[in-house]
Amino acid sequence: MRALIIDDSAVMRKVIERALRQAGLELTEVLQASNGEEALQALRDDGGKPHPLSLILSDINMPVMDGLQFLEQRRDEKLAVGVPVVMITTEGSEPLVLRAISAGAQGYICKPFTAEQVKARVMPLLRVA
Amino acid sequence: MPATASPTPQNEIVNRLDTAVSEVFEMMLERSCDPLDGDVSIVDGRIMARIQFTGAITGECILYASQATAEVTAEALLGAAASQPCDPMVDDAIGELCNMIAGGWKNKLEHPQASCLISVPAVTREGLVALEGKFGTKFSRTYSFQGNVFGILLAF
Repeated sequence: MRALIIDDSAVMRKVIERALRQAGLELTEVLQASNGEEALQALRDDGGKPHPLSLILSDINMPVMDGLQFLEQRRDEKLAVGVPVVMITTEGSEPLVLRAISAGAQGYICKPFTAEQVKARVMPLLRVA
Repeated sequence: MPATASPTPQNEIVNRLDTAVSEVFEMMLERSCDPLDGDVSIVDGRIMARIQFTGAITGECILYASQATAEVTAEALLGAAASQPCDPMVDDAIGELCNMIAGGWKNKLEHPQASCLISVPAVTREGLVALEGKFGTKFSRTYSFQGNVFGILLAF
C-alpha cells in the first residue's frame, strides 16, 4: 500500500513511518511532504498513478500551510477522494479536533503516541476504505 | 517519576510538566526520564528549542540540551545514530521533543487555557537567553535520562 505522511519534522515523518510498519502495514511507497502545500501538490501529481494512495497522515502545526488548511483545500479540490486522513499532532484541544473532523479527517492521534495507538486508529479505517 | 506534591497551583504546573516529559520519553523514546535538582544552568553546551503559546495563555516553553544529549535523543527517536555531528536531524529531534513536551503540558491544562495555540518549534545554538519580563510566571526544571541532562524553562 502507498501512504502520504505530512509533517514539517523529518524526524517525525520517519517515526510515523516506523510506527506504521510496526503496526503491520505493508508499505510499498511512502510519499512525504513537509507542509500542506507540498502535500496538495503531491496529490495533484499523484492523480493518474495506477496504485492509488491508501492512507494520509498529517500534522496540524506546520509552516506555509497547516494541516487544517490542507484538509479544507483537499476537500475543495476533490483530491484523493475516499482516502482516509488521520491527524497526528500535539494539538489535542476539542475545537481543533472538531474542525479537523468537519474538514474530512477520519482519525486523530495525539503526540506522544505508541505504535499500538497508531495501529488501533489506522487499521479500522483501512478495512472500510 | 513525576514529582508528587501538594496541589498548589505552582506544584500543579510542575507536576503537569513532569508528567508530560515522562509520557514523551516512555511512549516515543522507550526510556524513563526523571527530574533533577538544579536549574537549567547545569546543562552543558546549548542547543535551544522554543515553542510559543498564544491565545488563552501567552508564553513559551524553552528546552536546553547539550550536543551529546541532542544526539542521544535523535538516536532514540529514530532508532539509528546521527550520521554526522551537525546532522540536521539532531536539531529537528530537539525541536520535536520540545514540541511534544510543550503540547503535552498544554493539553493537561484546564479549559480554557488548554485551548491556547502552540507555535512550530524554533531551534538555535545561540546560547541561553534571558526570558523577557513580560511573563509573570516562570519555572525552570532539569531532567535526566540515562545520564543525559536537559533543562526546560516554562514562562507565561
